[in-house]
Amino acid sequence: MKAPSNRDFVRQSNVSFTQPRRLRSFWQVIHIDPILLAGLLALCGFGLFVLNSATGGDAETIARQAGTMGIGLVVMCAVAQFDIQFYRRWAPTAYVLALLILGLVLVIGVEKNGAKSWLDLPGLPSFQPSELLKFIVPMLLAWYLASRALPPNLKHVFWAGVFTLLPAALIVLQNDMGTALMVTMSGIFVVLLAGLRWRVVFAGIFAALIASPAWYLFLAQPHQKNRILTFFDPYRDPTGAGYNIIQSQIAIGSGGVYGKGYGNGAQSHLDFIPESNTDFILAVLAEEFGLIGVLVLIALYLFVIIRGARIALTASDMFGRLLAGSITLTFFLYLFVNMSMVSGLLPVIGLPLPLISRGGTAVVTLFIGFGLLMSIQTHRVTRPAR
Amino acid sequence: MEGRWQLKDREAERRLFARRMLVASIVIALLFAALLVKLINLQITQYDYFAARADGNRLHSQYVPPARGLIYDRSGELLADNQPIFNLSVVRERVDDIEETLELLSSLIRLAPEDVEQFRERLKRRRVPFSSVPLRYVLTEEEKARVSVNAHRLPGISIEPQFVRSYPSGELNAHAIGYVSEINREELDAFAEDVRENYGGTNHIGKTGIERTYETLLHGEVGYEVVEKNNRGQVMRRLERTDPIAGKNLTLYLENRLQRVATEALGEHRGAVVAIDPATGGILAMVSKPGFDPNLFVTGISNADYSRLITDTVNTPLFDRTVNPYPPASTVKPFIGLGGLQHGFTDTDTVIQDPGYFRLPGVRYRWGDYTLRTAIGGGHGETNLQRAIFQSCDTFFYDLGYRMGIDTIHSFLSQFGFGQNFALDVGYARTGVLPSREWKQATRNEPWYPGDTINSSIGQGYMWATPLQLATATAIAANKGVVVKPRMLAAIDGEPFEPQDPNPVGNVQIDNPEHWRYIEESMTMVVHRPYSQVFRDYGTAYEAIARADRDMSYKMAGKSGSAQVVSIAQDILQSEDIDLSDLNKDHALFVAYAPAQHPTIKPQIAVAVFVENGQHGSSVAGPVAKAVIDSYLLDILEIDFAAVATDPDALLSEDAERARQSDENSPSLVALIAEHEGHRHD
Repeated sequence: MKAPSNRDFVRQSNVSFTQPRRLRSFWQVIHIDPILLAGLLALCGFGLFVLNSATGGDAETIARQAGTMGIGLVVMCAVAQFDIQFYRRWAPTAYVLALLILGLVLVIGVEKNGAKSWLDLPGLPSFQPSELLKFIVPMLLAWYLASRALPPNLKHVFWAGVFTLLPAALIVLQNDMGTALMVTMSGIFVVLLAGLRWRVVFAGIFAALIASPAWYLFLAQPHQKNRILTFFDPYRDPTGAGYNIIQSQIAIGSGGVYGKGYGNGAQSHLDFIPESNTDFILAVLAEEFGLIGVLVLIALYLFVIIRGARIALTASDMFGRLLAGSITLTFFLYLFVNMSMVSGLLPVIGLPLPLISRGGTAVVTLFIGFGLLMSIQTHRVTRPAR
Repeated sequence: MEGRWQLKDREAERRLFARRMLVASIVIALLFAALLVKLINLQITQYDYFAARADGNRLHSQYVPPARGLIYDRSGELLADNQPIFNLSVVRERVDDIEETLELLSSLIRLAPEDVEQFRERLKRRRVPFSSVPLRYVLTEEEKARVSVNAHRLPGISIEPQFVRSYPSGELNAHAIGYVSEINREELDAFAEDVRENYGGTNHIGKTGIERTYETLLHGEVGYEVVEKNNRGQVMRRLERTDPIAGKNLTLYLENRLQRVATEALGEHRGAVVAIDPATGGILAMVSKPGFDPNLFVTGISNADYSRLITDTVNTPLFDRTVNPYPPASTVKPFIGLGGLQHGFTDTDTVIQDPGYFRLPGVRYRWGDYTLRTAIGGGHGETNLQRAIFQSCDTFFYDLGYRMGIDTIHSFLSQFGFGQNFALDVGYARTGVLPSREWKQATRNEPWYPGDTINSSIGQGYMWATPLQLATATAIAANKGVVVKPRMLAAIDGEPFEPQDPNPVGNVQIDNPEHWRYIEESMTMVVHRPYSQVFRDYGTAYEAIARADRDMSYKMAGKSGSAQVVSIAQDILQSEDIDLSDLNKDHALFVAYAPAQHPTIKPQIAVAVFVENGQHGSSVAGPVAKAVIDSYLLDILEIDFAAVATDPDALLSEDAERARQSDENSPSLVALIAEHEGHRHD
């Protein structure tokens, strides 16, 4: 049974109906979602705790990381203050601007760690514009698809693909495959959540499976091939390419169920684990706190993910849903790829463990995403469209 | 219209989205489940394996080398010490690219091509995996700092403190103490398995001298420890330790002060001095000159230094002259004379007429006395054994030796250690040659000729003896037949050491004790018999020893010798125009013991001096022996002979009286002639 109030004909769908005004709680006034905030604070605290051991109690690093997290929280709160409709309105403009900046980076960008993706403008801290695309792309796609009938037809999917791949290609040109991949995935998540037909989905997966050997043979860089070979057999070069994964598996495995105790992780404290502060910090955690520690971390992540999913499901419009869903799934993808790579379930891809690994820009980017989630959650009472 | 105006079913879209989120949740759950399975596999199923791998990563069992025993001289002066140095070591297994690492290192510290070459050699040797291999010894403070600062770029490289040998007396004891140097592959391969284990942490081994002879005592026993290392091979913690047992400290009979005196007394000459305590056989001095700095060998001698040592074919600093044989020449005469007395081929009254040469019956060839080579010319006239010794008359011994025959000479002299190595702990000493019929047949495949005996009876020809052997024989003579065997080691860790003698020999039995007294008297006359009006009736060493030191408070028994370096036909020697180059000059020898003819004090020291190309036994080698004996008796033992009541000996009094007269007359023509001759021969 379908009530007539549930259907209408719209063009460029704005919210054209008014929800009953509810009593606005304290949290809604300050536009913060307390449950998500609690989950994030718990994760941040746990992250600092693990990082303290991984850095060998380097107070300076811990303080800097805590500072970064504080900045992230402030940015998150700031982002959450704006109505989600504001982001919706400005999404196309932001997208075009972002493309222009990416083009600018290609011309005047600065290279760090092999990727020419940094912009060093006078008077501003140097930053990676490509990070912004991680939420601008899903924002644009959500804007584009939410106003069209769902599930999207092929034309819309085509344009969605173009909107996604255009910035991704620019980021590939900056030689930053990891970010390009995540940007692409955030776009794909929007399309999938928008109801892309399953036959298209399976056709895509099938095509990827067919194409991957060809990619491996003709397009993959030597270091990429090496990573894949190492994934299948880390011991083909145990002191070279396979060293990281072997040592990190030794750390995780030797942690056992209960772990060796806080600060007793010999593998990390004797520097056997490379990148123990950043990409491989899970190995430190697993060695010192064992399986139980990893389960606690997974539980904290799940808490955040479930809250994100809940926000997505209860969002008052499709733009909010799609954006919240994509942000949540991208967050999951991050942590899953990192945990899988460190434990040897996936080839090594240079992605940090969100909110646990030491890092600057990526942390702030994450908090912008969470700010958008809070905006979606707390600005659900919307004004009628003009 | 279509595509721009579409039916928008909000509720259907919401449900579609909810379904998609459900699918996503299922996928997330499945992926987490897969991750969980992987973690359970790592942390529970394979826990034991990974726990062992983690321990294997960090825990390393390594050897702890024992401290090498120290070496002291008789008076407690330190001759071989251990000093800390800092070495640069490499754990090969931890280094990714050894070439790159070596290149980086050579930009930080001095790394000679030889160092790298030796390092590669060491890498090839059998060794424990993950053990550190030395690359450079003795880093300076600055080099240490440079390496430390760059440690993060140098995985597998570490700075390890190590105690290495140092020889504070340097060149002085180079031959006697020897040196340690790096163990080479052959030495390691020659070890039995348990010994090789014991050398697991040791880089050095004794190569020569005492260091080699007593390697087993000095080395000690290796210890073990389990350490935790980080991924750069740096030791972070020690977990378990079995302490090594340090090597034993050795005290030698060697007297460093005597070494110094002997070295100084030799002056610029090449040569050797061996001094023995006749009571114990303890070697008091053992100097070979020139020496070398043994410290150079400890941490790997540079090619330049080494080639400087081995290409010096004249001075041959690495060659130990104390244990290598030379013709003993006239120094054997007292022993041949004693043998003649014992076996009845002569007695104290037998007098021969010396015309200056000796001729075998029926043979025209003449064996010349050395006097033929002097300006005055031939012979000593009427000569008994005593005069033949203190005047060193060749003709007398040609005759005596010929009549004794080589068999008697061989059997009698071998009691004094000639032709054998009597030394108990100088295994590397050569045996020289005490010729016999069998020896000549075996080595030269020739029968023994009477002429060979004649050469042998003045210590030439086939007869060869080392300075060590001469000192030993002299000590036995000083003991009047009681055989002592030379030895270096006096005490181990302060406990007196009594060595096992694997081939004990009996004492030299002389039926008539008067003959010992007679020989001692004759040898004392070599040093103390002064000039007189009688033609050629002074001791050959009187001028250089007793006359040079009129206040000599003790008597010394001695015998000089001049060993021919090149076999110049005796006829040619008569010609005046032979110009011998320095290297062809005779070797000068002198054997002595003291105090001699003392009523209460037994002989305390027996000395053999060898001066290469020194030419004059009495005037060149004699004063060296005098200096060593003076230093030992007067400075080290501090014997005050004036205070010791002496029973005036008739003969000594007679000599003393004659010396006084001779001084009053001098410079008489006779004394001048004698002086001249004294420099020409002994």
